[in-house]
Amino acid sequence: MHTQVLDQVAGPAEVTPVVEFHGVSKWYGNVIGLNKLTLRIRPGVTGLLGPNGAGKSTLLQLATGQLRPSQGSVRVLGRTVWNNARLNRSIGLCPEQDAFYEWMTGWEFVLTCVRLSGLGRRDAREAAARTIDAVGMTQHRGRAIRGYSKGMRQRIKLAQALVHEPEVVFLDEPLTGTDPVARRDLSEIIRRLGSEGKSVLVSSHVLHEVESLTPNIVLLNRGRLVAEGHVRQIRDLIDKHPHHIVLVCDDYRRLASRVLAWEDVEGVRVLASEKGLMVETRAPDAFYGRLPALSLEDGLAITAVYSDDDNLEAVFKYLVTK
Amino acid sequence: MTSATSLAAAEETRGATAGRLPRGSRASAFWTLYTLTLRQHAHGRRWLVMGLLFLLPVGLAILVRSTAPDVPAIGLEFVLAHMFVPQALLPIVALLYASGLVEDEQEEQTITYLVSRPIPRWAIYSLKLLATLTTTVMIAAVFTGLTYAAIYIGADARGENVPLRCLTSASIHALALVAYCSLFGLMSLLTRRILVVGVLYTAIVEGLLANLPFGIRLVTVIYYARLITYRTMEFLVPLPRDRTENIAADAWQFDVASDPQLAEHPQLATCVAVLVVGSVVCTMLAAWLCAGREFHVKTPEKD
Repeated sequence: MHTQVLDQVAGPAEVTPVVEFHGVSKWYGNVIGLNKLTLRIRPGVTGLLGPNGAGKSTLLQLATGQLRPSQGSVRVLGRTVWNNARLNRSIGLCPEQDAFYEWMTGWEFVLTCVRLSGLGRRDAREAAARTIDAVGMTQHRGRAIRGYSKGMRQRIKLAQALVHEPEVVFLDEPLTGTDPVARRDLSEIIRRLGSEGKSVLVSSHVLHEVESLTPNIVLLNRGRLVAEGHVRQIRDLIDKHPHHIVLVCDDYRRLASRVLAWEDVEGVRVLASEKGLMVETRAPDAFYGRLPALSLEDGLAITAVYSDDDNLEAVFKYLVTK
Repeated sequence: MTSATSLAAAEETRGATAGRLPRGSRASAFWTLYTLTLRQHAHGRRWLVMGLLFLLPVGLAILVRSTAPDVPAIGLEFVLAHMFVPQALLPIVALLYASGLVEDEQEEQTITYLVSRPIPRWAIYSLKLLATLTTTVMIAAVFTGLTYAAIYIGADARGENVPLRCLTSASIHALALVAYCSLFGLMSLLTRRILVVGVLYTAIVEGLLANLPFGIRLVTVIYYARLITYRTMEFLVPLPRDRTENIAADAWQFDVASDPQLAEHPQLATCVAVLVVGSVVCTMLAAWLCAGREFHVKTPEKD
């Protein structure tokens, strides 16, 4: 599997990366979490994509100094992360796990977290109030966390990551399990962080979530970097490789013989149960362009045409299974 | 400007402007962690278990007082406050609290909120231990007081200064707890089966070896606690014909017949120093181990 390194959209090449992984491997006994990962994440919002077990959480735990790399080096803001507690003043982490001091109220939790960051009492109270308001939890801040909904828990978890105004924020699956309203609000907060000049690395295994937050993405699979760059370029990338287009037609066998004659078609699979064909082509635009004529001239009534390759999910599937 | 210089300048600027909030002191963070741990103890159920355990000597004292009024109060004090409590209760209390020093946060996956703050790992361990010592010493002190009250209220104290004896006992218990907590805290970083190891240690080392009249008992906490007790308190039980007997010497295998001053045993200051220095060494070792330790939190995808 080769890494697809695409042009970045964050800025010119000389921009100092906020997060740097250089030849990083992380082993858990015989299990590999990350495999010789070299990655430079630039300022702005970056999406970290990958299926479950891809190494996203390992990457974030390495980037926040919770784990020590087995091999290689991890730097954030130009400084080594491992055993550098001082750096945590500039880092915010919203962990994936749904773990809290359940007996605390949301207010106490955020206040405790900002006090743990070293702020004095008055500054801490102001920061906690401001951040809780920013995540839309002011109304519920006096309630015990154990009574919060999933969306509220995600919001308050995000608040503790932001309350000390870090320069770099790491968000591990922040939208998981949230309702549409919370999802919209949290997405808006993340986008706002980017527009305020913060650097945000947000992980997800749901591609459209990340696509709505940023065009700048990093794809991981099985501990390896699969691709990094702009969503658009990843879309372009797939055009260089076979598209899968499904054609539904009663006379699908005759249709198969017709499309197989086209040079850009690399393969056809019969989908008998759907009365259709799965066509593999390297020139999807040209293929789509010929379809109307096929119907008109040969009388092949194509009742449906669709492709799974039109969204980022398909790009992702293609890249990680390649 | 060279790239190295520009990078250094950038880092300097970044350091100066890291976050826009005014930065408080490290002491503020430390105090917050200390109070957070105390609050965790207060919200846990452990202290209820501890309370029930510590009510045992209180209950036994009431039972004996009500069923056998002839038993001398000082004898009852010795058995309950200086045999039962230090031998059985203090190690259990220390084990139950110290075993969860870091393990609890890791199990509940809240350790992330601590290690992602600007608090070094060694300080996380040390502050949590300090808070644990505070909790356990407070519990022990309160219940030592209750035990003494149950033994002596309405009893013939034979001119003993009971409040002073109670205070001395509580202080010795506190010192033993400090030693036990430090030791078990260190053990908890070395083994995942700290409860099993701790119980075995308590039974074999502090229970069996400490009761043997050999040099091996010098490696036990209870030996020094007993010696401090022996050198600071008297346990003279009246015998027929106006004679008295120091029941502690016999019970603790101190050969006072040939060595009435226990000259072959460490002196009071040495005993205190051994427990204090031993605790400090254990704490420093544990803090050092903690400083280089990863706290890997399970994520759903790894479960």
